[in-house]
Amino acid sequence: FPLIRSLLYCPKETVTSSFASFIHGVRPEHLSEVVRHRSKRMILDSIGVGLVGSTTRVFNIALRYCQLYASNAVSTVYGRKGLKLSPTLAAFTNGIAAHSMDFDDTWHPATHPSGAILPALLAASQMLPPSSKPNGLDFLLAFNVGIEVQGRLMRFSTEAHNIPNRFHPPSVVGTMGSAAATAKLLSLNVAQCAHALAIAASLAGAPMANAATQAKPLHIGNATRLGLEAALLAAREMEANPLILDDIRGCSGFSAFYGDYQPKPLPLPANSHEFLLEKQDVAFKRFPAHLGMHWIVDAAASARNLLVNYSGSFSPSLIRAILLRIPVSKYINRPFPESEHQARHSFQFNACTALLDGEVGLNSFSDGCIRRRELMELLAKVLVEHPEDNLANFDKMYGEVALVLENGDVLTGRCDTFYGHWRKPLSRESLLKKFRSNASHVLPEDKVNSIITTVENLENLPDSSQLASSL
Amino acid sequence: MLLIKWLTITENFANVIHGLNASHLTDLVIQRSKRMILDTLGVGLLGTSTEVFHKAIQYSKIYRSDVSSTVWGHSDFRLPPLYAAFVNGVAVHSMDFDDTWHPATHPSGAVLPALLALSEVLPQKQKFSGLDLLLAFNVGIEVQGRLMHFSNEASYVPKRFHPPSVVGTIGSAAATAKLLALDQFKCKAALAVAASYAGAPMANAATQTKPLHIGNAARHGLEATCFASLGLQGNKQILDMESGLGAFYTDYAPQFLPTLQSYSWLLDQQDVAIKRFPAHLGTHWVADAVSSLRKYLVESDDSVPISRIKRIVVKVPDVRYVNRPFPNSEHEARHSFQFAACTTLLDGSISIQSFSDQNISRPELKELLSKTKLEHPADNKPSFDNLYCEVNVTLQDGKVFSERCDTFYGHWRKPLSTEDLKKKFHSNASSVLSVEATEGIIETVDNLEKVEDCFVLSAFLKRDTVNQSTAPSISW
Repeated sequence: FPLIRSLLYCPKETVTSSFASFIHGVRPEHLSEVVRHRSKRMILDSIGVGLVGSTTRVFNIALRYCQLYASNAVSTVYGRKGLKLSPTLAAFTNGIAAHSMDFDDTWHPATHPSGAILPALLAASQMLPPSSKPNGLDFLLAFNVGIEVQGRLMRFSTEAHNIPNRFHPPSVVGTMGSAAATAKLLSLNVAQCAHALAIAASLAGAPMANAATQAKPLHIGNATRLGLEAALLAAREMEANPLILDDIRGCSGFSAFYGDYQPKPLPLPANSHEFLLEKQDVAFKRFPAHLGMHWIVDAAASARNLLVNYSGSFSPSLIRAILLRIPVSKYINRPFPESEHQARHSFQFNACTALLDGEVGLNSFSDGCIRRRELMELLAKVLVEHPEDNLANFDKMYGEVALVLENGDVLTGRCDTFYGHWRKPLSRESLLKKFRSNASHVLPEDKVNSIITTVENLENLPDSSQLASSL
Repeated sequence: MLLIKWLTITENFANVIHGLNASHLTDLVIQRSKRMILDTLGVGLLGTSTEVFHKAIQYSKIYRSDVSSTVWGHSDFRLPPLYAAFVNGVAVHSMDFDDTWHPATHPSGAVLPALLALSEVLPQKQKFSGLDLLLAFNVGIEVQGRLMHFSNEASYVPKRFHPPSVVGTIGSAAATAKLLALDQFKCKAALAVAASYAGAPMANAATQTKPLHIGNAARHGLEATCFASLGLQGNKQILDMESGLGAFYTDYAPQFLPTLQSYSWLLDQQDVAIKRFPAHLGTHWVADAVSSLRKYLVESDDSVPISRIKRIVVKVPDVRYVNRPFPNSEHEARHSFQFAACTTLLDGSISIQSFSDQNISRPELKELLSKTKLEHPADNKPSFDNLYCEVNVTLQDGKVFSERCDTFYGHWRKPLSTEDLKKKFHSNASSVLSVEATEGIIETVDNLEKVEDCFVLSAFLKRDTVNQSTAPSISW
């Protein structure tokens, strides 16, 4: 199968590859006289403009910010005892870690809220001097500010309620949330908070096309890093547009990222503020793949059970076709994924893996498992249907797996709400099980337990930077 | 409960972020968010065993202090290449004095700082000739131009995303990939990763943050190339897909590049405009029109009698972000048709000093500004290739004077002479560098294709004397 597939799959020249070929293949001889002349004029002018520009205030602010990096390795990196990086880079790497396997939380409207906030806060907490370390409650508050801002921003458009197809939401609202959260932790004044948001907007926005590639985790890494950076710049009095979230005619602010945009003010926090998290929980994943996969896996597991009861064992040879009833979403519809990143974003792959193994786990995405012959055989039997009532929306979708047997019988498994979804949240036990299983890959048992204790008692922690150093 | 009407949503957000405190947290929120924190930590720890994480670490370790590049105009310290690219890019766009192309973007600032920063940190045995630099620079410019031809929207003065932040980031990635001689696959990856950094909204134009758009384009393009060279991959069809680079445009029709057998560069057919004063390109038409008109109004001491003026009408295309009747900051002043008209009328021309705090708040200027209004004739299109400016000044006695500018001096249809280009450079560079360094750069660039090691350029860019003012700093 793989051989035939690769013969049929010869990639034709794409626009992207033509660019790559050009960049790679062009030579000095290709430069004409006119081009040389004009480009040298441009270089000269650019240098001069830059030199005079180095006397400006904005340059000064940017410079003071960048000088941090000379030797400011104060923030820890997940699982790397002894290694420290500068705060934004620590946030960057930890953010990438959080999203590296698509194992992190998902909210409604759709985004991955926590990975964009937590790393920035951890890094920032280690950056502050001992006399002004935020306590655990401050930390928890800042975290919630970051989550809340993301949720509020997503409610500015109806487009945001559905599975995205243009900009990857964490790169849009995540960056803003990180700026808000760090502004809170660093106790910026009101004007600085506004500027932090505006500066962050200029750092937001990555296209969906990089989802299901190795670059996707950078979206979260950058969201958390650049939001932190925006706050650090705002702290140094960098200014930006004070109307960034408003609807500005003829000159887009944050609205640039959406087709429809109706901003609404946040209720004033007087004595009580209703956080969105109160009404709308997140979903935690049980295995490292796109959220949509969780419905189809539960449906497949139930179809598999039906087959086992029907015939005494799971015998793939009895299956003629596998019908998947899924919502329409191009980036998670992949009949034959070729990499772990694609496999995590493939209804077909996850359904078949669950049929074969009864479940999907960490190892399901290893190279060996991705290319299993038995799996390929099952994948070849898959057909996809998009029922009209199956909406591309994490609050409304369902998954159905129908096994059409050789003898004509049909066994159907369906899942409306998977275990871990906000309608059916993981128990404390299950959540701790997932944490222990993950953390023990890099930390010893006693450290794993102490992190659990610290987080569960976060509001009582006198110095929240201890959380970061324990990782 | 106090009912306060918010002036703006943005302000409201800022107030809420600032005003929330721990007592606002409910038990449920606390419980849920702690679960989220725990899960995120676990997932993150697990993720440190992944390949992509290893690459991020490898990349981030570059931030050692022994690997560093020149900060233009500073000999007293250096920065890691990404940050050197960033600050130098910010410097280039800090006053809106840098070049502009058609379709509209500021092409050079996104590319040159990244290339120079990169050229300084490559392994000892590798050096780059002036020709290598020139080629890579042109790759960066060309890619930007080609990308802008993928949509009609790009031919007009932008409204949604600031073009340097979109095409500039990709251009920087392309240029730096070229300098590093990455193979085709890695070039492709550099483009793909860069796309995930692209895109800043227009609303931050005319604010202090705007220069960061160019600084970030330079820096992030370079970062994307670094990642690509470490083997990171993105979407191999990033330029083809609507959900790729197409995400930044409402109409998107990507096209192939010409064949290498006989490559034709866009710069060959379409030159850039070089600015004569540091303000948005649109204001250059206004300045030239007003300066022509001014000669009818001046008195013997070369001043213009403000009180004799009843009304000033400036006819320009409808470009919201340059329509500012009473700019409050240097950034707003650089993006104001009205300010350009009145300053030129008062002083005869616009210069770097025109944007000082003092000059922005001059009472004479405010008086003229209050007599100024804009009109947007239907035939005046918001395109740097087609727009014009007509100025009508009506005096108290009823006399009307009118002048029009179709092409200002410095526009691609009427390029600056070599002498005037060098004069601009001299004036700019000598504010920071010695005469020798200034002359050295002119000569080096003039003969760039023959320069053996472009390191000399970076050497000239350092300031000769240490004369830094110390500003109060934050400890973190």
